[in-house]
Amino acid sequence: MVCAPSKTVIRGEPPLPTDSVNAFYKAMPIRRRVFVLGDRETRSAFKSDLRGRDIVSAKDLSRDELELVFEVADDVLANSSAYSAVLRGRRVALLFVEPSTRTFSSFYIAARRLGGDVLPLNEPEMTSLTKGETLYDTLKMLEGYGVDCIVMRHPSRGAARFAADVVSAPVINAGSGSQEHPTQAILDVYTILKKRGEVDGISLGMLGDLRFSRTVPSLAYLVSNFDDVELHFIAPSALQVRQEVELYLNDRNVKYTKVTRQQDIPDAISRLDVLYVTRLQKERFPDPSEYERLKGSYRVDMDMLRYAKTSLGVMHPLPRVDELDAEIDRTPHAWYFDQASYGLPTRMAIFALVVGEAR
Amino acid sequence: MSSEEQLLVRKIDWGTVIDHIPNWRADQVLKLIEVESLIKEPDVSVIVLKSVPSRKYGKKDVIKLYHYFIKEPDAALIKLLFPTVTINFIKDWKVQKYVPNLPEELVGKVRCPEVTCISNARREPVVRRFAVLKEKGYVRCYYCDALLEISSIPDFIAA
Repeated sequence: MVCAPSKTVIRGEPPLPTDSVNAFYKAMPIRRRVFVLGDRETRSAFKSDLRGRDIVSAKDLSRDELELVFEVADDVLANSSAYSAVLRGRRVALLFVEPSTRTFSSFYIAARRLGGDVLPLNEPEMTSLTKGETLYDTLKMLEGYGVDCIVMRHPSRGAARFAADVVSAPVINAGSGSQEHPTQAILDVYTILKKRGEVDGISLGMLGDLRFSRTVPSLAYLVSNFDDVELHFIAPSALQVRQEVELYLNDRNVKYTKVTRQQDIPDAISRLDVLYVTRLQKERFPDPSEYERLKGSYRVDMDMLRYAKTSLGVMHPLPRVDELDAEIDRTPHAWYFDQASYGLPTRMAIFALVVGEAR
Repeated sequence: MSSEEQLLVRKIDWGTVIDHIPNWRADQVLKLIEVESLIKEPDVSVIVLKSVPSRKYGKKDVIKLYHYFIKEPDAALIKLLFPTVTINFIKDWKVQKYVPNLPEELVGKVRCPEVTCISNARREPVVRRFAVLKEKGYVRCYYCDALLEISSIPDFIAA
């Protein structure tokens, strides 16, 4: 099935919120109070319906579940010491079949800080996949070792869904080809929430290679959970957002526009609250001269931001090359370093909710 | 069956008749049923009629599979692509009309159009699955979300 059926949720009386969580409640309407984490009660605190769930696609997450992740991420930031044993005795495998530095290290540090045992499988030699072992066999072997959670990056689209069906332990998708990267989108939306105060009513622009980017579909799926969201997909037609993303947004009645002409970019920029930048890659263009012609228009610099609202936030999943001018770093538009720093609390929250101890 | 057609090809006493196929679409139906696989069946004959006069549709194609009954998922797939088609099983001259249920999911039969999809990886034991989005005219890969137009399915029958 699409995802594991949600486990029975045991909800007792919600304990009183701590101060940090209190502040968070004021900042954001919470539809469902779930629990509060304290120094003593962490071990039994994580009884959520994310427990044991696969995080394969951003489509699988409801707004409530997302807000729950954010609540815990906030608490992680405020009371990090309370989380040092949440994954005690839990084994987390990081199976990275494709190169990654930041996503890998962020998951690694997140699991370690929660007190979990990490099995890092990020060197090609460490898995037998390079020897021609199938992904299926690798996963079955990991399951045999009794891992409690598998975080996986794989170059094939659909690999995470396949893995989730193969093993009973929860699978967290850390990037499945050009398909999705849900935990990146979770930290992206968390960034928007922290920097902007709310996600509802946002006018969000995504610029660059939208067709082969795995973060763009996940982000589009996640923000569709919120109200009055407007998306602007700014890219040449060959790199426009994929059909299945459009179909999903139409199904959920999310307003979006596709901006394909260079001359329309300034007008689109002027409407945005947040601009999400991804890199145009030369090798994606069938005709290299087309790339040379277009790259200037899709480079984000102060000149482009002339048209922007003063409050515009610029985000980027990083690493950047030259699509995002370093000059922006010094302006309040630059959200991307904060964005990167939110990777840790959000991933700690995801681990805590999905595999955290609850005996 | 129209009288003109009877002049061309006689009735069969045992097997499947796939009638009212849209004009010149018989080849696509043959792809869907993987007709080449019938090479192993010594008793089977395949009769393909193209551009035959039809009272209802003007022109149509007809396929007769002598000594062969098509399988249920294949029948459902044909019906999904060509809703006008009628499928008759003939047993000792007795005609039995078969109306397949339209599938909500296609399992095993169709290849994902996305080459980088895990379901196209050689040696991985992946069961190909597609959700049928009939009213939108697409099927969607269960693994990678890629969309495939229903009308393009004949070109993506799994090898």
